[in-house]
Amino acid sequence: MTPKWLRWTPAAAVPAVIAAGVLTGSVPASARDPLPDKTPAQVLAMISQHSTKSLSGTLEQTSELGLPDVPQIGPTAGAGAGSIAELLAGPHTARVYVDGPTKVRIQVMDRLAERDAVRQGNELWLYNSRDNTATHVTLPDKAAGHKPPTSRMPGTVATPEELAARMLAKIDSSTEVTVGEDVEVAGRTAYSLKLTPRSQGTLVDSVAIAVDGEKGLPLSVEVRARGQAEPAFRTAFSSLTLEAPDAGLFDFTPPPGATIKEMVLPQIPHAKHMPHLKKDMGRHHAEGKAPTAAGKSVSVTGSGWETVVGFPARAGAPNGAPYAAPSVDSLLQDPLLRQATVTVPGGRAISTSLVNVLLTDDGRVFAGSVPLERLQTAAAAAR
Amino acid sequence: MSRSDGSGNVAGEARRPPSSASLLGSEMKLLFRRRRTQALLLALAAIPVMIAVVVRLSSSVPAGRGPAFLDRITQNGLFVGVTALIVAVPLFLPLTIGVVAGDTIAGEAGHGTLRYILVAPAGRVRLLLVKYIGAIAFCIAAPLAVALAGAGIGAALFPIGPVALLSGDVVEPGEALVRMLLIAAYQTVSLLGLSAIGLFLSTLTDVPVGAMAATIVLSVASQVLDQLPQLEWLHPWLFSHYWFGFADLLRQPIGWESFTDNAMLQAGYIAVFGALAYGRFVSKDVLS
Repeated sequence: MTPKWLRWTPAAAVPAVIAAGVLTGSVPASARDPLPDKTPAQVLAMISQHSTKSLSGTLEQTSELGLPDVPQIGPTAGAGAGSIAELLAGPHTARVYVDGPTKVRIQVMDRLAERDAVRQGNELWLYNSRDNTATHVTLPDKAAGHKPPTSRMPGTVATPEELAARMLAKIDSSTEVTVGEDVEVAGRTAYSLKLTPRSQGTLVDSVAIAVDGEKGLPLSVEVRARGQAEPAFRTAFSSLTLEAPDAGLFDFTPPPGATIKEMVLPQIPHAKHMPHLKKDMGRHHAEGKAPTAAGKSVSVTGSGWETVVGFPARAGAPNGAPYAAPSVDSLLQDPLLRQATVTVPGGRAISTSLVNVLLTDDGRVFAGSVPLERLQTAAAAAR
Repeated sequence: MSRSDGSGNVAGEARRPPSSASLLGSEMKLLFRRRRTQALLLALAAIPVMIAVVVRLSSSVPAGRGPAFLDRITQNGLFVGVTALIVAVPLFLPLTIGVVAGDTIAGEAGHGTLRYILVAPAGRVRLLLVKYIGAIAFCIAAPLAVALAGAGIGAALFPIGPVALLSGDVVEPGEALVRMLLIAAYQTVSLLGLSAIGLFLSTLTDVPVGAMAATIVLSVASQVLDQLPQLEWLHPWLFSHYWFGFADLLRQPIGWESFTDNAMLQAGYIAVFGALAYGRFVSKDVLS
């Protein structure tokens, strides 16, 4: 007979082996060759010159914006999903397929559901499996050529490339640009480009963009908020192959039984809508006044990272149009935002760690990556 | 719950050392000839039947309410199986697995048959393995019963046609059936960890009901913990974490990541609780 304790050794050894395996697995392999040193300007040039035409990859997005979590319990597809804010608030996984500038498919993988945006040429299909609806959009001709491969697709998550483009558009004298230690994203070595606002008046602490050392493609974007340890928003490729995906993926026909809607894009250049408003982290085109459908104007105060954008009451844009300026009503129809709204002097506010939105009692909306007081000041000044 | 057939067999063969195959064969016979096992499988098969009949009798199901895919059933019968599998994942499947896995060793001990089996030089390790393989067989049978009953009743009550996947792409009924079998396989894998836990708990006690209840309670507890955002670091380690990941098999192209993640996790649970069960069972004084 072997002694009793000997028989328990497997029970002790197995967890030890697993723990050892996990620990060694989580240590990043540092055997890779370091990338040649580059200045921030050189890395910026890499991004603007990158010519990655085709890719398929998986994006992981997490956020700590301070919005309430969407509970996902039980066998139903999570309720409250489908709200625009939900795309920003919770963790999301999305698969991205790109083949040239006009063939893009983004699949947001929800629990037991999926939101798809499929673009081929000027045809854009949005499909939501939760309510089995398909929306058909015909994009204007000029959008086909100029925009970057993964230009913003409504109803899906933003790709690192797209977010990086928005962040980089912000770079001016108010931003300090540095290149940090090499990072590894989706198994590729990348430069880490860091943008730090010089101003103290913004909620944004820093933005880190991982730029593929070989191709110049942005692989991840991480936005940190002041006074918060974990990143407020992060999206990164968890896997990436730079090969053309199966062409059949871009042929989309709505399934039988689906509700099909036709959507016409209003011809408003750079009009703001909800996802922009939240994603932009307060960066809005500083052209001063942009016309809206109703002829009223969008006001922009401050500059750089401290920009505050004000929307007039009731823009009068047709309901359901994706590029309509947000009205208080439409904002509060979003269940997640309604839940996150708190009453403050002068109206109600939605506070996140990166963006504050003030809904004034007279129906105007002010937003920016600034403390709430600055929004209240802007609201009072614009009256 | 009489088991006179099982104990009689084993006691009769006690003098010759039984081969592994015959030991496994008698275990399978014992398991699947049992009224209780058959009743469990029938109850599982009743889930899709119930869903299909209710949907057939009611006028229409609004989209986005109830379990996923419920509104698609009237258009396509194949969704009955998928919906039933989704409904069965959180409670019904773990419940039946808990009963079978919790009974493995404790059931023999509770009936006083364990020492007879061990009198034959079957070896405790071999008995443990045979019992676990029996539990695996049930893990295969249980989701399969739901899926096949679902496909059958769906074909009987509703039209069958091309199936729309989560991505909106459409596949032929044949491929849809293959994907449904893949989902059943996914759930088999999902339940292996729980079976290992049940096997370990079963070696701890001579009261089978205790082991069954503890296994089921653990499966519920794991799912509750998986919902608490404060324990996010723990989530990837919970054996129930990937239970709903089978949705990736309904996407185009199929996402295999959750399948492999799930398999790795379950393998870890099998290793840990298998080792624990071994430690406990070979050092246990078998008195009954």
